[in-house]
Amino acid sequence: MTKALDLCDIQGNVVRAYGRFGFPIARYLLLNVSNGWGGRAWLTTMIPYVTNSATWGTGPDDAKRPKATLNIAINHAGLLALELPLESLNSFSTEFSMGMKKRKDITGDIGASSPEHWDPVWSDDANHKAVHILLTLNAITPHALEDQYQWVTEKIEGSKGAVTLLDGHRGPNEQLLPYQEAHIIFENGLPTSKEHFGYTDGIGDPYFEGIQDAQARVAGRGKQMSDGTWQPLATGEFLHGHLDEAREYPPAAAPILLSRNGTYMVYRKLHQNVASFDALLAREGATYPGGAELMAAKFVGRWRDNGAPLVNAPDATSKLQWDTDFAKASAEEKDAMLSNFTYDEDMSGARCPLSGHMRRVNPRASLEIKAGTCPGQFLRNAGAFDTPGALANRRRILRRGLPYGDSSQRDTDQGDHGVVMMMLNADIGRQYEFVQQQWVNYGNDFREANDKDVILGNRSKHLPNSVIHQADPEGDAPPRFVRNIPLLVETRGGDYFFVPSLTALRLIARGLIDPT
Amino acid sequence: MNRNKSGNAYALTMLCPIKPGVEDNRIYADLIRDQLESWNMASVSPMSRVPNTYLSRFFVLDDIYTESLPGASIWDALSDIRLIPSNEQRLAALPHTDRLQSRYLVFTSNLHGDVDDYLHGMWQSINAEIKTIWKYCYGFDGVNDEASFIAYAKKCSLDTALFFIGSNDDSLAAQLKALYVKQEFSRFAQETQDLPASQLKQAYTAFMQRIKPRDVDGPTWKAGATHADV
Repeated sequence: MTKALDLCDIQGNVVRAYGRFGFPIARYLLLNVSNGWGGRAWLTTMIPYVTNSATWGTGPDDAKRPKATLNIAINHAGLLALELPLESLNSFSTEFSMGMKKRKDITGDIGASSPEHWDPVWSDDANHKAVHILLTLNAITPHALEDQYQWVTEKIEGSKGAVTLLDGHRGPNEQLLPYQEAHIIFENGLPTSKEHFGYTDGIGDPYFEGIQDAQARVAGRGKQMSDGTWQPLATGEFLHGHLDEAREYPPAAAPILLSRNGTYMVYRKLHQNVASFDALLAREGATYPGGAELMAAKFVGRWRDNGAPLVNAPDATSKLQWDTDFAKASAEEKDAMLSNFTYDEDMSGARCPLSGHMRRVNPRASLEIKAGTCPGQFLRNAGAFDTPGALANRRRILRRGLPYGDSSQRDTDQGDHGVVMMMLNADIGRQYEFVQQQWVNYGNDFREANDKDVILGNRSKHLPNSVIHQADPEGDAPPRFVRNIPLLVETRGGDYFFVPSLTALRLIARGLIDPT
Repeated sequence: MNRNKSGNAYALTMLCPIKPGVEDNRIYADLIRDQLESWNMASVSPMSRVPNTYLSRFFVLDDIYTESLPGASIWDALSDIRLIPSNEQRLAALPHTDRLQSRYLVFTSNLHGDVDDYLHGMWQSINAEIKTIWKYCYGFDGVNDEASFIAYAKKCSLDTALFFIGSNDDSLAAQLKALYVKQEFSRFAQETQDLPASQLKQAYTAFMQRIKPRDVDGPTWKAGATHADV
């Protein structure tokens, strides 16, 4: 039976991707805490304004929809600065305690993505104050965002030096700013859900038990069952203190009141090399069967213009039909057309390649495979696992965040444009880091040796830089190589944060965390 | 039937007792470990020079370790029945704990072909390195040529049937050639994917002449290398 979640206790960014709820702009602020008492006093004043997950509406239990949101996340150094007891500090996971920089051999942040090239706000320099707290502000209008930002900075100033707003986010024209600005991309004055490579983004967020909104959204977003139905994923995959897909409580910090209804956030600022991307499309797309736009779609698994999944619209003809159907569909039907699909009829990847970004980060049931009789052919290996998507269900991640900057000048990779990713999961090692290391930067689980995710894969001249787009193994067309793929995305900053529940925030602020 | 043989592959396992001596304030076993670690740090292991090595491993065995006491001997069981066993009786009922009489250098190798030929080749190609680690072992003092090394190795060998997986029956040279051909063919397929048929055929002929797929002594993958030479 589904147990209702205490939405008032869970921070709002866990349940909502604000960008899709009418909050198209955001600022992300990084703070340092110089003394524990002052830091906790400041935190106390902020907690009443933290946005929770309560339903927005006019009902008795509903919350009023704010003009701007506020959410708080704290890294391991931050919890230390706020003077959490050592026993509680030591009870957090190793990955979280180490922080993102020290995990670079796992995350593949090497070369241009290596921490020494990150924005100065992440600097380890002795003169630079360390990052402790992440504040995320989302708003419905630029005006509302500016108001919220002014209010927050006044609060920070009111801490009398106990809390400092850190400078050093790289912005437009190499300016160093005290915040990271992020916003959806406008095309011809209209809001889009695109990112800077032109893909429609943020479609397939996981659906988990306890979310109260439309059950209709579970298909394609939950877990795929043997009988073809979909079930919500277990809450414990995304929130501590709840059972996960293994029917266990995910490892979490002690005491339970500190961890329950909280989760880990992986914050990453990813710069996008738009000129390199466009050049790759021009160079490899020139002779690509079906054209450069189909090749671009194969990099991700969705057509760039409207996100149509390749498994249901694998070529120009079927795409036209899909577009016609899409135009006529209701909002609910549109959502289903974008999300409710499987790879069951495309196990060999002739439609959506096995290196396609969407397939790499969420393979659904497509890892339940066995080799077929033709070269390059894979078949369903039905019944191999408890549920067809067993290997994917424990690697799912909630994706938050927005694009930043402007990429209208596309003749250079330089400039200020990319995406700030905020990924939420209960276990950084099992979920985010596994996906990043094994599925994005390596391909063995997809029977692709060490071929990487085209978009996110780390690359250098010493690393693999090609992928194979499989053709129908029973047809006559040969598979297609995409060659000389350059580094398309560079990490420019990031860390692992803990997103406490409101209860935990209050306990931290009062200095009442007691693990004994 | 020799259990160490599977087709043309042979599983060699040697346990060589290390003398208990000390040199420069470090015990011999530690000096062996030091040497082996330096091989580990080298870009290519000296073992890559030994012909027909599929895969080999060295380690120093200090002792045998058990996670907990093995239990349930008959005396152990009987001592449980007595209501109040004396401490002597309780200790006497505990199972005997085995200890090694010395530390051992363990060398295992999965190799192609005849083991005598292999050891012969090993001495020929790396006898200087062999001496730097084995000189600390009992019985190695008399080793000074191929014949004495083979005799020594035989004396230390165990019948284990311990094979690594991932090798077939072909000689190392044939396997390295196969790796090379696979790598080169992938590159060829990528570079020529847009060529019209006539040019593709020409390019393929030139490619085959260059890589000489049937000539194992021709261009090939270097033993021990993790990347193809580009």
